[in-house]
Amino acid sequence: MKTALKIENLHKSFKTGFALKKKKILKGISINVEPGEIFGYLGPNGAGKTTTIKCILGLIFPEQGDIEILGYPYLSLKSKEKLGFLPENPYFYDYLNAEEFLDFYNRLYHIPSEQTKEKIRSLLELVGLEKAKDLQLRKFSKGMLQRIGLAQALINDPELVILDEPLGGLDPLGRKEMRDIIFQLKEKGKTVFLSSHILQDIEMICDKVAIIMDGQIVSQGKLQELISEKILFTEMIVSGIDKSDLEPLAEEITFQGDKTFIKVFREENIKDILALVQEKKGKLHSLLPRTPTLEDLFVGTVKKT
Amino acid sequence: MKRSKIIVIILLSSVAFLGLKIHIDTIHRGKVPGSSIIYIPSGKYLKYATFGFPELGADLIYLWAIQYYSDYSIPDRFDYLDHIFSITAELDPRYVDPYHIGSLIAILEAKDLDLALKILERGFEKNPDQWLFPFLAGHYAQMYGNDFQRARSYYKQAMEIEGAPEFTERLYAHAAFKSSDYQTAWKDWLNIYENAPNERTKKIASNHLYNIKATIDKIELEKALNAYKEKFGHYPEDLFRLVQAGYIRNVPKDLDNNDYIYDPETGEITTKVIPWKR
Amino acid sequence: MKIKAIALNTFKEAIRDRILYLLLFFAAAALIFSRVLALLTVGDRVKIIMDVGLASLSLFGVLMAILMGTGLVYKEIDKKTIYTLLSKPIHRYQFLLGKFFGLLITLFVMLFLMCLIFMIIIFLHNFTIEWKMFIAFFFIFLEMVLVTAVALLFSCFSTPILSSIFTLSFFLIGRTSWGLETLIKKMPSGLGKITAQIIYTILPDLENLNYKTEVVHNLPIPVDLVLFSTLYGIAYSVFVLTLAILIFRRRDFI
Repeated sequence: MKTALKIENLHKSFKTGFALKKKKILKGISINVEPGEIFGYLGPNGAGKTTTIKCILGLIFPEQGDIEILGYPYLSLKSKEKLGFLPENPYFYDYLNAEEFLDFYNRLYHIPSEQTKEKIRSLLELVGLEKAKDLQLRKFSKGMLQRIGLAQALINDPELVILDEPLGGLDPLGRKEMRDIIFQLKEKGKTVFLSSHILQDIEMICDKVAIIMDGQIVSQGKLQELISEKILFTEMIVSGIDKSDLEPLAEEITFQGDKTFIKVFREENIKDILALVQEKKGKLHSLLPRTPTLEDLFVGTVKKT
Repeated sequence: MKRSKIIVIILLSSVAFLGLKIHIDTIHRGKVPGSSIIYIPSGKYLKYATFGFPELGADLIYLWAIQYYSDYSIPDRFDYLDHIFSITAELDPRYVDPYHIGSLIAILEAKDLDLALKILERGFEKNPDQWLFPFLAGHYAQMYGNDFQRARSYYKQAMEIEGAPEFTERLYAHAAFKSSDYQTAWKDWLNIYENAPNERTKKIASNHLYNIKATIDKIELEKALNAYKEKFGHYPEDLFRLVQAGYIRNVPKDLDNNDYIYDPETGEITTKVIPWKR
Repeated sequence: MKIKAIALNTFKEAIRDRILYLLLFFAAAALIFSRVLALLTVGDRVKIIMDVGLASLSLFGVLMAILMGTGLVYKEIDKKTIYTLLSKPIHRYQFLLGKFFGLLITLFVMLFLMCLIFMIIIFLHNFTIEWKMFIAFFFIFLEMVLVTAVALLFSCFSTPILSSIFTLSFFLIGRTSWGLETLIKKMPSGLGKITAQIIYTILPDLENLNYKTEVVHNLPIPVDLVLFSTLYGIAYSVFVLTLAILIFRRRDFI
């Protein structure tokens, strides 16, 4: 089975400043996205995420490297037929209304037919904008713009969907809806490639990630494989126990009001603390085993470079 | 679109427009160049249209006018000569070239002396410090119109301006002579003689005075000779006979106190020396 | 067709631009003013109305072409709407041609309105419809087409202000290049003259697209001249457009 997106050894420099000094942005990026997975592209600002995406879309031309989209050479029209793209901070023609907008983009793929109206309607429903069908885009809120942007990315029923910071600027409800839509896409068998800063969301939805730092891929692979399942420590919140009793069992103790926050590194000590709570008739508010998060991985990788 | 295909289209289209351009230039188009300038009432209105660049406007119109008048295929191009050059005068009165060229075109091509003089007068009116305008006007009046009186008045204007060549006064005096006003000519030349700044001028003035006297004398003598001939049927042997016959009071001598040369056969009076070679 | 879709979209956007209506207002004012000017002249009054009128149509038409054309591509790049557009299966040249034709349709509509006002004013004065004006109109539009192509070319790599200056310069050069012919005739033969002749041929000659004098003064217009002039305008426009396509092809959209 062909990879959905294959990037091999991508290099790109820009000439900046008055002296036209060459600044290398991408220093040999290689990425593999398998069909049907949700792939997260992660990195600090200026690492080269957007540059990579622009190379994929043919907006800028790399000096070196090869890109294949759904098995086709990336600059061919065929590769774009089944590709959908949502840019960061989308801006569209604001005098069009939602329906006209989607109709315009549709025309860039096919000649409109009787099914077009229905297709547009169901797409608007998918992104939750069916009520705004006749509303001019200039009157859309940021969240609505994001959603109509997603709709135009899906207008051609693409196999690969590229999303640049899709969750940026959305309120918590909007983010949940967007995550749900992305899961829906995966269920339909589509491949999603998204770049994001919001690590928690990536952690929640992505199967695979690649971390780019200073123009190079420092980490790539299945999320589960990158982050071990080993429990680092357990966080507990209790009340009604004296400090002196806790001290031999827990490594970090902080007090806040009448609650005690404890970090326990040894698993045996958890049982002892629980017994202590029962004995002293205290209360257990929370028990949370902490596994490494993507943030830990990220920060750790940053520290290394 | 393939790069090669684009390059081909660029080359083809450029060949096309270059070729067409060369061909179109060969097709004659009925020209009424600058016809729109004809019915702008006067330079006053045009001044507003130049948005504070009237001198530039004058330059452009002048340049255009030169091309316009170089085109001999326009038969009635002189109809608006005055109008066009009045516009340049209005836009940039201190720009002297148009006056000169306009008057030159008027006199040489349109053969209209009055128009040429009118243009020069306009130039002088707007530039009273430019002696060249009346100076040239005097020359035109003299050369093309044989109007020495008019030339004289121009020369007078010219010679009063600082910077005018000093021989202007001599032109002024000579114009009087040419218009047969010998009394005035004598007066003027005498004035030049007496106020001559150098020997050369003095010499020239004296030559002219000599010539004037000679002319006056010659006329008087010839009048007498002709009357004598009428009466006696032949010219007298010598000039004294005229005195004896009572036609003249005495035989005039030239300015150097030499006798005039008289030829009894033809009745001609000539000077002993050529005035200019004294 | 994809070009058609972009053209219609461009038209819908351009027709909303207020600059157009501002220029239309001034054009109408100029046309009415020509009627007033006619009262000041001695002789044939209609000629002044026709001359000033055609000059206004031409001037404001070209201004519209420049002001709209220089923003055409720049706006899409600046507002980043071009990102979504080029992620679709369209060639870059289809995008350019779509913008071009979209603006042409817009300019045609505006010119049509101006010509209508013009013809009405003439009609009110002469009580006839001067059909010969349409030749002048046609070539005014052709001139606008060429200027639009040039504006589009500059819009591909330059900011609107610079593009406007360049396009305006092109227009002024085009309107005055005929003077070079006279200069060349007076030059001594040699390398200088040949170079001057080459430059003269390359430079745009907008006099070839100017039939106002013929129309106003009822001079005969040979058919082959009309044909060749039209072809000249089209050929030059094609040249400029293809140049724009070439430049736009490998441009990085940072």
